[in-house]
Amino acid sequence: MMNCKTWISRWPVGLVVMFVAVTGVRGDILKINGSTTVNPPAAEAAEILREEKGMTIQVDTQGGSSGGISMLGDGLVQLGMASKPVSDESRARYPAVQFKQIHVGEDAVALVVSRDVWEAGVESISREQMQGIYEGRIKNWKQLGGPDKRIAFFNKEPGRGTWEVFAKWLYGSSKKAPQASFPEVGGNEEARNKVASTRGAISQLSSSWADGKRVFALSIKLADGRLILPSNKNIASHQYPMSRPLFLLSNGEPKGEVKTFVDFLLSERGQALVRKHGYLSLDQLQ
Amino acid sequence: MSFFFTALAAFFLLLMLFLFVWQSLPVWRQSGLAYVTGESWYFRQQEFGALAMIYGTLVVSLLALLLAAPVGIGAALFTAEILPRRWRLPVKAAVELLAGVPSVVYGLLGILFLRNWVYDGLQYLDLLSGDTLLTAGILLALMILPTVMTLSDDALRTVPAAQGRAARGLGLTRAETAIWVSLAQSWRGMVSALLLALGRVLGETIAVFLVVGRRDNALPESWLSLRPLVEAGQTLTSKLGGSEINIAYGDPLHWAAMVGLALLLLIVVAGITWLGNILMRRKEGESYASLH
Amino acid sequence: MRRCIDRLFVLATAACLLFALGVISFIVGVIVWRGFGALSWQFLTDQIRSAGAAGGIFYNIVGTLILLATALIVCVPLATGLALMHGVYLKKQRSRERLWLFLSVLNGVPSILFGLFGLMVFVKFFAWGKSWLAGGVLLGLMILPTVAVALLERIKTLPRPYIEAAAGLGLSDSQRVWSVVLPQSVGGLVTGLLLGLARAAGETAPIMFTATIFAGANIPTGIKESPVLSLPYHIFVLAQDSFDPAAAENLWGSALVLLGLVLLLSLLALPARLNFHEEAEK
Repeated sequence: MMNCKTWISRWPVGLVVMFVAVTGVRGDILKINGSTTVNPPAAEAAEILREEKGMTIQVDTQGGSSGGISMLGDGLVQLGMASKPVSDESRARYPAVQFKQIHVGEDAVALVVSRDVWEAGVESISREQMQGIYEGRIKNWKQLGGPDKRIAFFNKEPGRGTWEVFAKWLYGSSKKAPQASFPEVGGNEEARNKVASTRGAISQLSSSWADGKRVFALSIKLADGRLILPSNKNIASHQYPMSRPLFLLSNGEPKGEVKTFVDFLLSERGQALVRKHGYLSLDQLQ
Repeated sequence: MSFFFTALAAFFLLLMLFLFVWQSLPVWRQSGLAYVTGESWYFRQQEFGALAMIYGTLVVSLLALLLAAPVGIGAALFTAEILPRRWRLPVKAAVELLAGVPSVVYGLLGILFLRNWVYDGLQYLDLLSGDTLLTAGILLALMILPTVMTLSDDALRTVPAAQGRAARGLGLTRAETAIWVSLAQSWRGMVSALLLALGRVLGETIAVFLVVGRRDNALPESWLSLRPLVEAGQTLTSKLGGSEINIAYGDPLHWAAMVGLALLLLIVVAGITWLGNILMRRKEGESYASLH
Repeated sequence: MRRCIDRLFVLATAACLLFALGVISFIVGVIVWRGFGALSWQFLTDQIRSAGAAGGIFYNIVGTLILLATALIVCVPLATGLALMHGVYLKKQRSRERLWLFLSVLNGVPSILFGLFGLMVFVKFFAWGKSWLAGGVLLGLMILPTVAVALLERIKTLPRPYIEAAAGLGLSDSQRVWSVVLPQSVGGLVTGLLLGLARAAGETAPIMFTATIFAGANIPTGIKESPVLSLPYHIFVLAQDSFDPAAAENLWGSALVLLGLVLLLSLLALPARLNFHEEAEK
């Protein structure tokens, strides 16, 4: 019985020790956080480097691109992943941090619709029409020459690079986007799933996910009447209006393990990973 | 030693309350009660009104409770009063086991099946999508069903078996015995079981997050309207679990508004628990007679 | 007429039970059916590859076990202290009621609030970043009421003569605790822990901001910046973001493993739970 008692009476000591014995930040871990769009090639690159160089690399996707920027700003990670450029506000918020954007590939935001809309003949959309949907003036596909079906618009949740690119195209800047409340979707799979299973659905989605089987990417109808598909060619030539660069973000020039990682993703093998996951590698952009 | 640990546990809870109050101060200073009654939440415009999320939380929770309570209590009446003893154990065992299925698993099933069933099943209502307050309510109802059932069964069985036998001996039918003897004697236990379940659904995050639609500012035109049930909405928890937490950190007012949601949730849940305790107090005194 | 109502009553309640059992079988059935294909030795022993589309969930299982072990260590002394406080040391009815209220309120605190609390305290204020310890402490606090109440219930059902005999021998409170109360009621503690850990294993909300990341962590060696992988967060992330059909299979495999772990813990607690009910009935 006494054993039991002493055992238990030592607990507070143990707890205090656990709370106090905080080791310092370990220098040998490379932490990466940010955009779910950049995540697949980055995570796979991390796997390869872990195997080949024995590096310890942690990859996470908390809060999308904004999460990547703020966590790099707070010094919680050494590399951010972003599918949008770092805004001036973010730079102002973290004056001590020198955000360096390393361009690793290119992606486009497609506007995807569900099968019923696609098959009813809606294959393109103009900027004005999309504004109408976003501002609630266009509520039925009939108004766009489609079926008599309410438009179910799934908006990408705030902080996602996808939304920023979309809002910039629509209104010139994400800050000028009007107040709007739509059902929100987070990751790409969630967006694709919800569009595919909802009649009359439309959402923004990374174009590499627009499979043409469950969800269908609309062409963008330009002011001069041309229809631009989010094809690799159109993205590379920047004809397609909603393309976006994929970045790794570092604080200052990459050094040490950060540099190893960046160099790997920029190497031919790394760029092959970018292509493998459906994005455009740098050489495809001329 | 016991005192030390008790104090430590109490300290954590008080610290939580304190932090939620303190960190949400800016939004209370800025808006006061309008924060609670405000109908619009547009964080880019620095507008923070929590009403739509409070509404969503209440609707989803009450819906879950309304759906789960009759079925759960009905099933418990069957296991406690009618099912032969040798069947009761395996049934009870199965239910007890499944009371613990993780909410993320329910969320997964919700995305894959329930969303589509609600969407297709209610097509005549012209649903915009399968993400609705109703979907979240049904999913939570299924989630708490085993809990409601097993706790109700426990409550029913605190009624001495001899009383049931006596009632049957007097010529009461099974139904009459169950209602006039067992239910009548155990209603406090039932209600506390339901309040416990209510606390759980109010705070459930992950499963709700995946099927509720997460649409801000979804308020009904009339408070009695049922239409919002089949439209997407937002709850306090789905907001807290979403990406805004990461955006809000660093912007004092936005962060305060997010923490304020947590504070509201904590107050509501604590209030409900307190109610349940008042209800159970008399019984508490009897059954928890001291060791001395 | 009365017979008729009686029949109807039996039918209706039986239907309720059948419905509940049907739901339960459906849930387990779907998870097993979808997840079974993914299960293999390699799946259980390999790390995540290709962002969840290949490889296995070894470090997710390890991470979840680390979180559970930490929660257990945090919870045992606190729960024992609380249960003894209520069951033995507090003499006044009023103070016991207050303690009970505290336990109920803590029990009701939504898990996401533990997550937010942990984000403020551990991640930001202590500047741990994401850490297994934060997650373990939060989960330990979260299951504290479950464990304390299970122990307390057992203490309350101790046969009176035991305690009276001990008091008759002139033993003090703490002597009685160590020689009679705790040894006789340790089963309640174990049951409570199993139930609590079963709940903790499946929780996503308390750990997603504080302790767990999607890929790249293995065995933590420190406290600061030492996240772990975990099963529930893995499922949560893949449910929103899996780009590859192979990831979907792994997703269901992970769900099956998590369900198995939770059911195993509950199963271990089951005999004690059922025994307790049967005893209470006599």
